[in-house]
Amino acid sequence: MRRSVSVAMFIAVAVLGIAALGAKNSVVAAQQKPQSAEVKIDNFSFGPAALTVSVGSTVTWTNRDDIPHTVVSSDDPKAFKSKVLDTDEKFSFTFTKAGTYAYFCSIHPKMTGKVIVQ
Amino acid sequence: MLNPFDLKAALAAKHAQHVVLIHFPIALFISGAAFDFAAHWTKKQSLAAAAYFNFLAAAAASLPTMITGLLAWQWQLEGQRLKGTLLLHLIFGVASGTLTCVVWLIHWSARRAQNEKLRLFCLSMEVLTAVLLAMTGHLGGFLSGVNGPG
Repeated sequence: MRRSVSVAMFIAVAVLGIAALGAKNSVVAAQQKPQSAEVKIDNFSFGPAALTVSVGSTVTWTNRDDIPHTVVSSDDPKAFKSKVLDTDEKFSFTFTKAGTYAYFCSIHPKMTGKVIVQ
Repeated sequence: MLNPFDLKAALAAKHAQHVVLIHFPIALFISGAAFDFAAHWTKKQSLAAAAYFNFLAAAAASLPTMITGLLAWQWQLEGQRLKGTLLLHLIFGVASGTLTCVVWLIHWSARRAQNEKLRLFCLSMEVLTAVLLAMTGHLGGFLSGVNGPG
């Protein structure tokens, strides 16, 4: 009787342990899952100005302004740069490396934003 | 905080000179046209001379303005194919800049030859150039955010 109780407890602990490990892994996997994010360009600003995404995520910028804009990374060499985006035109870039990517509009350099890739 | 007297930063800003310089040819040309119309109305040679020198200064100022505009296109947009408002601004800008120089030349020729028909032609060209300058300036202001929602 005592032996079967011990075996049952061992099995229960093992099952709980495996379940907990699996749950932890699934949370980590959910956090690191690549996603899609959108930045809207409107009224001479990027919204949101700062965006946090995971590695492998694709960010799409959409020009909702009446004015043409560009999306150009501030680093050198440039990680990404768009052509001139007219109203409702889009530009997408997939971030494959972690880091902070500052960017701006080359027509209106006061328009800035950043993408934080974790 | 930007220092407005930081000459190095101002000169190094590849896009910035064009939007500063553009005010000079516009103001000088409009002044020149106003003097020329006043000279035609009053028949005063001093006003015609004032118009001539304003056109001369406008033509001189339009050259660096056009050059910096073209350089902004090459540097900031890396010479990519333009469309829409940017393309219209480029076309109107080159046309109005060229016409500013042409008006000065016609005005100079008309004054030298004392040709009344050429002077009237010059006045009509001044009106056309002023309209083109206004359209170029409006588009430029729209692009920079001065005339737009920004």
